[in-house]
Amino acid sequence: MNVSSHVQSGIDFARYRTYDWGPADALPTGDPRLDKDPFFQDHLLGAVEKQLAARGYERSASGTPDLLIHYHASINQRIDVNRADREHGYCYEDDCQAGVVEYEAGTIVLDIVDTRTNRVIWRGWAQDSVEDVLNNQDRMAQKIDEAVRRMLARVPPKLQSP
Amino acid sequence: MHSLSPPLRFAALAVAALALTGCASMKVNSYLERGSDFAGYQTYGWAPADRMETGDPRLDNNPFFHERIQADVEQQLAARGYEKTASGVPDLVLHYHASISQQIDVSGADREAGYCDANDCRPYVYEAGTLVLDLVDTRTNKLVWRGWAKDSVDGMIDNQELMEQKVDEAVTRILEKLPRRL
Repeated sequence: MNVSSHVQSGIDFARYRTYDWGPADALPTGDPRLDKDPFFQDHLLGAVEKQLAARGYERSASGTPDLLIHYHASINQRIDVNRADREHGYCYEDDCQAGVVEYEAGTIVLDIVDTRTNRVIWRGWAQDSVEDVLNNQDRMAQKIDEAVRRMLARVPPKLQSP
Repeated sequence: MHSLSPPLRFAALAVAALALTGCASMKVNSYLERGSDFAGYQTYGWAPADRMETGDPRLDNNPFFHERIQADVEQQLAARGYEKTASGVPDLVLHYHASISQQIDVSGADREAGYCDANDCRPYVYEAGTLVLDLVDTRTNKLVWRGWAKDSVDGMIDNQELMEQKVDEAVTRILEKLPRRL
C-alpha cells in the first residue's frame, strides 16, 4: 500500500479541534460496485472518525467546525511488469518472461479544509491493488482500516494533548 | 577550449549540456503560430481552470500542485515583462493542463548505456507526467503558442518537495521556449 500526503506549509494543527464531514463529492469512483455503496462509505467514515477521535479531534455537534473533511475514492486500471516470479525464484533468469499484468488499483483521497479560509490544508492518499478486495466485504473493511490508519498517521500531531 | 583535445572537448560539452538540463530526461518543446508577433503582447490572464482530469486522483483538485504551477508561471512571465491583468481583457489568455499516464520502457536506454546485458534488460513501468501551457490571443481567439514538458514522475507525487522541484523545472524550461519580445 502506497500512502503519502501533501500539506500547506506553515500550518499549525494545534489550533484545530473540531471537524465535520463536508458534502459528499459527485465524482464517480470509476467502478459501479463502489458508486453509492453504503458499506464502503459507512466503513470509511467510521474508520476516519475513529482515527480522528484517537488523535484528539472532536466531531462538532453544532456550529461551524474548525475543519471539514472530504473524501474521494476511485478505481483505476493500472499495469505492472511482472517481476515477482523472478524474485520468488519461480523461474530462472533466462526463463522469466516479462509479463505485463493489468490490475485494479484503488485510491482513497482525504482532504482537510480549514473552514475559516476555505482552503485545503492537507491531502492524504492511500493506493493499493484492490484485486479480490471489492468482492470480499471483510477484505475491503481491512483494506479501508489500514488505509485510513496510515493516512491519518501523517496528519501533523496536535501539540497540546486534547 | 582551444587547448583541449577533441575527446576532452566533447566531454566538456557533454558535462555542460548535462549541467544545463539538470536531469537530462525531461523533454521540452513548443509550437508557435507562424507570423505571431510577441512584441505586441503585454498582458495576460488565466483561463478558467479546465475540468479535465489529470489521470491521477492524487493530483485532481490538488491545490498544492495547481497553485505551484500557477505561481511558477506567474513568476516566469513577470520576469519576461508580461503583466497579469487586474481588470479588462488581457492580450493573452493562459490555459494549462497536466496529465499523468503509465508508460512502459523496455529498457532500451539501459542496454544502450551498457548498464545491463541483453538478457537482463527487463521492461519496467513508470509514471510519465506532461504539462502543457497554451497561450491564446484574445483578439483572434487563436492559439498562438503551446509549450510542454514531459518527464518521468515516478515517486515524485508522493514527495511534496520533489513534486514542487519537478513543477519548477518544467515551468521554467517550458517558458524558456517562449519567443523573446524585442
